Amino acid sequence: MHIPDGYLGPITFIVMYIIMIPIWIYAGYKVQNYLRSRQIPYLAMAAAFTFVIMMFNVPIPGGSSGHAVGSALVAIILGPWAAVITTSVALLIQCLVFGDGGITAFGANCFNMGVVIPFVGYYTYKYISGKTPITSNLRIAAAAVAGWLGLSVAAGVAGFEMGIQPALEHTAAGVPLYMPYGLNITLPAMLIAHCCFFSIVEALVTAVAFAYIARSDPAIIFDYKKEEASTAGTKKNPENPQVS
Amino acid sequence: MTEPHTCMQIPAWMKSGETTEECPSYDNKRRKKNFIQKSISGVFRFFDESLQNEKYIRQKGFLQSLDPRVKLLSIIVIILGVSMTRSIEVLLLMYILSLIAAYFSKIDLFFFIKRIWLFIPVFAGIIILPVIFNVFMPGDAAIVLISPGQGAHLGPAALPGGLTITWQGLITATRFILRVVTCVSFAVLLFLTTRHSVLFKSLRTFHVPKIYVLTLDMCYRYIFLFSGMIRDFYMAKKSRTLKPLPMIKEQKWVGERIGHTLIKSLKTGEMVHMAMVSRGFNGDAKIMDTFCANRRDYISGVFSVILGVSLIIFSQITIIH
Repeated sequence: MHIPDGYLGPITFIVMYIIMIPIWIYAGYKVQNYLRSRQIPYLAMAAAFTFVIMMFNVPIPGGSSGHAVGSALVAIILGPWAAVITTSVALLIQCLVFGDGGITAFGANCFNMGVVIPFVGYYTYKYISGKTPITSNLRIAAAAVAGWLGLSVAAGVAGFEMGIQPALEHTAAGVPLYMPYGLNITLPAMLIAHCCFFSIVEALVTAVAFAYIARSDPAIIFDYKKEEASTAGTKKNPENPQVS
Repeated sequence: MTEPHTCMQIPAWMKSGETTEECPSYDNKRRKKNFIQKSISGVFRFFDESLQNEKYIRQKGFLQSLDPRVKLLSIIVIILGVSMTRSIEVLLLMYILSLIAAYFSKIDLFFFIKRIWLFIPVFAGIIILPVIFNVFMPGDAAIVLISPGQGAHLGPAALPGGLTITWQGLITATRFILRVVTCVSFAVLLFLTTRHSVLFKSLRTFHVPKIYVLTLDMCYRYIFLFSGMIRDFYMAKKSRTLKPLPMIKEQKWVGERIGHTLIKSLKTGEMVHMAMVSRGFNGDAKIMDTFCANRRDYISGVFSVILGVSLIIFSQITIIH
């Protein structure tokens, strides 16, 4: 998913930066509103978590293992706008300090992993889970679908960005200058690999981690208080009266 | 008097003090790394890479001595120029320039080349490989691999005209690989020669909001804490593993550790915030700016910007022609 420098031509990477700059500014404004002075340490820890989640290897059939991106989980727990910031910060560290992902492709990488995954994941989770209790199985299933769909759509977007290169950037003789494969190759390559393999790992991790958090510390889940407050009229919570 | 713990005896193999054979653990029987070993070695590689970076940052070389703001701007402009360059000769020259810069920055060239070529370009090479064949990019044949002749059949199926490596494919692949390698080389040079904290602070030069810069700086420090935590999870699991659990249980274990790490990281954030507030933090963070550019920094900066802009102009001229 990390696109390095040299894969995308100037038209694409400049457009992706133009798209991302207002998103970064708005995400900062939005998060500042509800986090206030807590924002820096809170976001820093969440960004550090986003970075290290890729170090967790998950066993998969065939004796191999894969790792998750975790942006959908972060979006469900912290909200999609906080996920934009934390994923962007984690990607910038990966790009600047460890050379994983390019400097010119940074805008595109942030769009794919820091915007598409969190927003697709968060709204999928929200739509499926509805107003069910926080520990319901439907929410766990919703988290799994959110993880799967978020990563699959992001892979499709990355495949699209790479696949349009031969049409956008080529010599007068038609020889491609950047990613040489068209949409007919990049889209199926990215989608098949992710839908059948990486997105399943992402779904699994998102669901299990969500189930664990919902069971052990649901108060950290984004929207939890709001959802609890809305159900307070019908049901009292004797263990946590201030929530209800 | 009877001995209090007569039932506890040290096994004979412990008394001998020498091992006759390797411990017959589950992991030693498997040649392929399982997910526990992969994770542990991934974390150790991360720590190792960070230490290597630290070693080169401390050298007194050419790039290390430059002002980080100038260096960041210069390398961004150069990468932008390289990413727009179409000429293979110019890309090759720029790659050689990155090696010269690495040499004068006292970076071990063997380490530098290995680090660049071992990962990203190999991956890029696998992606670009099919392009050299006429199946993906038709063109003039450079090497004929299979030539079944016109009208050849394999049973009822008609065979294509032949499989060749084309000149056009070779040029496209070379240009692609060289561009990726050169861009990655300059990016790696930036972080091999700049302390992460000053590198992040120098982002303020480009008007990156303070909240992002401070978050970056704090995040980088806590990555090490959480990486150590992950290493400990897997180490503890490995030390208890006699036989692997069913895959679904192993997956559940990983998912729960991820959930635990997230809870722990947010709780740490709360504690760090309280510690900051107790020291007078009111949400308005300050960055101690101690950058000081001298004449050499300005010369290097101007040279790099001219070089990068020249590459961009050169690439536009070649488009027009």
